Amino acid sequence: MPVTMRAKPFLFPTFCKACGRCIEACPKDCIEMSTEIDPVTGLTPVVIDLEVCNACGLCFTACPEPHGLLPRPEGLGAGEVDPSVFFGPRPSTAPVPETIPDTRVPLPSFEPMVLKGTHASAVGALLAGCRHFFGYPITPSTEGAELMARLLPELDGFFVQAVSEVAAVNMIYGCGGAGLPSMTFTSSPGFSLMLEGISYMIGAEIPGVFVNVMRGGPGLGNIGPEQADIKLVCRGLGHGNTHAVVLAPSTPQEMLDLTMLAFELAFRYRNPVVLVGDGYLGQIMGRVELPCEMVRPGIPEWAVHGDETHRGNLLSSIQIAEADLEAHNVHLNDKYRRMIEREQRAELYRCDDADWLVVACNTPARMAKGAVESLRAQGASVGLFRPVTLWPFPSGDLLPLLDRARGLLVVEAGSGQLEDELRLALSHAGAPGTRIENLRRFGGMLPQGQDIVDKVIALAHGDPSCTAPSTTTSHATAMAPA
Amino acid sequence: MHSAFYDHFARHGHGAGLKGHATHYCPGCGHGLAHKYLAEAITELDVQDRTVAISPVGCAVFLYYYFDVGNTQAAHGRAPAVALGHKLANPSSIVVSYQGDGDLASIGLAEILQVVQMGLPMTFVFINNAIYGMTGGQMAPTTLMGQTTTTSPHGRDRFTGQTLRVAEMIAGLDGPIYVERVALFDRKQRTRAKRAIAKALRLQVENRGLGFVEVLAECPTQLHMTPIEAERWVQEKMVPVFPLGVKKDLTAEPWFTPEAPSFDARRLTRTIHASTEPAPRFGDGFPAHVDEHDVAIKFAGAGGDGAQTIARLTAKSGINEGFDATYIPSYGPESRGGTSYADVHVARREVLSPAAPEPHVLVAFNPPSLEKFGPCVRPGGLVLYDQTVTPEAPRLDPSVQMVGVPFTGIAADLGKVKVKNTVALGAFQAATRLFPADSFLEALRRSMPDDCEMAVLNEEAFRRGAMAFDEPFDEPAN
Repeated sequence: MPVTMRAKPFLFPTFCKACGRCIEACPKDCIEMSTEIDPVTGLTPVVIDLEVCNACGLCFTACPEPHGLLPRPEGLGAGEVDPSVFFGPRPSTAPVPETIPDTRVPLPSFEPMVLKGTHASAVGALLAGCRHFFGYPITPSTEGAELMARLLPELDGFFVQAVSEVAAVNMIYGCGGAGLPSMTFTSSPGFSLMLEGISYMIGAEIPGVFVNVMRGGPGLGNIGPEQADIKLVCRGLGHGNTHAVVLAPSTPQEMLDLTMLAFELAFRYRNPVVLVGDGYLGQIMGRVELPCEMVRPGIPEWAVHGDETHRGNLLSSIQIAEADLEAHNVHLNDKYRRMIEREQRAELYRCDDADWLVVACNTPARMAKGAVESLRAQGASVGLFRPVTLWPFPSGDLLPLLDRARGLLVVEAGSGQLEDELRLALSHAGAPGTRIENLRRFGGMLPQGQDIVDKVIALAHGDPSCTAPSTTTSHATAMAPA
Repeated sequence: MHSAFYDHFARHGHGAGLKGHATHYCPGCGHGLAHKYLAEAITELDVQDRTVAISPVGCAVFLYYYFDVGNTQAAHGRAPAVALGHKLANPSSIVVSYQGDGDLASIGLAEILQVVQMGLPMTFVFINNAIYGMTGGQMAPTTLMGQTTTTSPHGRDRFTGQTLRVAEMIAGLDGPIYVERVALFDRKQRTRAKRAIAKALRLQVENRGLGFVEVLAECPTQLHMTPIEAERWVQEKMVPVFPLGVKKDLTAEPWFTPEAPSFDARRLTRTIHASTEPAPRFGDGFPAHVDEHDVAIKFAGAGGDGAQTIARLTAKSGINEGFDATYIPSYGPESRGGTSYADVHVARREVLSPAAPEPHVLVAFNPPSLEKFGPCVRPGGLVLYDQTVTPEAPRLDPSVQMVGVPFTGIAADLGKVKVKNTVALGAFQAATRLFPADSFLEALRRSMPDDCEMAVLNEEAFRRGAMAFDEPFDEPAN
């Protein structure tokens, strides 16, 4: 380019931080520090002797400020300059982002499949439009990841085994940030490692689905089924003011259905959704019906997708001004309130006339349902209250039952974390004192149906106003092959 | 050409006053220069609309104040993982991970190594100023030996760790195709830096590979120097430790052009093996002769006995027959070669407790399994065991029917000990009449549709097992 075409520099003195790097860069020594203090910045900006300047341009390359030394527009006078000559009326030329909506593709009617829990969840994710999986192997969730590793390439999707759970959650952050559904399978120790990223996702309002097949703890614990992450998923999703809808399936069918729901909720609320199973549920194989439609995901308007429409977007969890961060938390609280109002889910089984309610989720809820059947057969008025969302706790469904119920028996494979959620929910609801008893097993041991039956009978016996059977029936069965 | 910088920094202090057009960086900070070269490269390559800039924790966390591109702010050290998520979500996006030395070389070492080694076309700008800027002058992994910082107040020594050379480490990986270390302390270095950043970006735009540029930058504030003194410090102190220049520069053809993910319903359902073909039913009702509502079976043996396979087939048969069924394996690190058992339930309506602590039927492949689970079988139940390996069956509740069938012996006769589980399944069918034999055989055929030889052998094994129960070689031990 001929020298005559080059522009000489121009500077708004208020945008000069007086670092002096241009002075060093100028081969003609035509830049020097001013001796006058700029009234706006309190600094002494550089001054340029345009007579000596030969428009070499090296000062532009040396100036660290985007709006510092600028090429001087042709014909610009020496006096005051209107900034609009340099800066347009809008901060950006980016278009207003638009939503590309999801489409729902109808499916033919399929025969029921026989799938293990983690596989059912993986199939649910594929049907929900997830083509990106990021994870780290950990028993007893790994089969889900392995199935994704096998199937995703067949659908031109991506499977990445991350260097750690810490990395995996951040890959979900990036993919979800680009507006696409992505997920992981993990288990308790791995989920602990993901909490940092989940807090960032909640802060930056990025959707993603986490399937945590809970195992025994604390520490390395074991790989048996436990429900000891309820505290984490309901109260401890990383630092700060965080919540996410927590879904608790109890069958392989629900592993599929609730995984699909998890993606829908994640994008509806721009928030992670956690699905908690237990080791048993991850491994158990059962009958699974496929839904009548699948999802082809669009791109939400807020996404940072790396295309023209979405160029103006920002995903960030940093709000450096106190007032901004307070406003952001108020916004999040509003979102949490909507989740509490709209997303409570529970299954009520023979609860209407129940004197005692068994409260259980995941696999223990199946045991509990069997116990309820057996107790009913013995004439006891017992029902099962099964929270399907652990957060928000479905207190709306529970409260009406408390008028009649004499007590609640919380059955869990853990140390009372479900009971804590129940108590907190009742406390928030201002429910009058209700008798709450528990049956707990740990370390991979699950409460069995007969344990629940025995416990309910013992409780009912201690409560003279309750209808209770006097004896248990025998399990003896005559085996008579045809 | 429009600049890749915003005209007005509306996100910087809400764009008020000076903040609307000036950065938050201290006077003389190297970040501003690296920003400028990156912005120029984005403009020159005409990729502003496609660019996603990742700004993790560090002074450049506010990069999104300035760059008029898609912006994602990330957690400390995690930018490479976030960048990878973006790139895989939209392979045509141009993803730039802009990281400082604490972020990339300390807390985010695992993430940078994995993502760089993967080598997708992406661009990494690494700002090395040998100190933590944002948190106020603490030691960085790149802090020089002897350098004083607030966390190495007596000068860095072995005990505070030795200086990490990142560009050389990255160049040692197979993933990247271009790695260069540049500086900003004079006009020659700045020209090189500008060119290097543009090249690293171009390699991504052309889908050739991953470019990594380490920029030796000035942090006058934390070095307690004037900007010009800081330039000299970088030149005189840093450059001898961090030699400038190209560390790796490979020629590569464009390669990363993946197909868009498929959302074709037919392709998806084929992939997951969903079938519209109804499985035939052979039975005419629930096996109420075993239990009115819910049959519990335990299959137990050593790992490799095939207990899991026949447990799964039994559950499948139950579902094919129109009932609810579950199969739960004992699982764990011992699953190869150790003990292995599986619980199966078949229920008329719904399986409630999927475990089978007190099964109606136990199928035991070895004496330890028989010892362990035999006593759990319900009164009136059935125990089926491998007579070949169990010469003497334990005494159990007299109401429990004990049936010994030489699973292993029959399988060995057939020339493949591996099919002893199918022998057991045949005997199980004959002994329990849970479902008709065809129901199990159909499940067996569907489980290995492509292996004709094994299918024939398995069917034979199944029949021999059933025959062995119907016409026992010996009187069952009882």
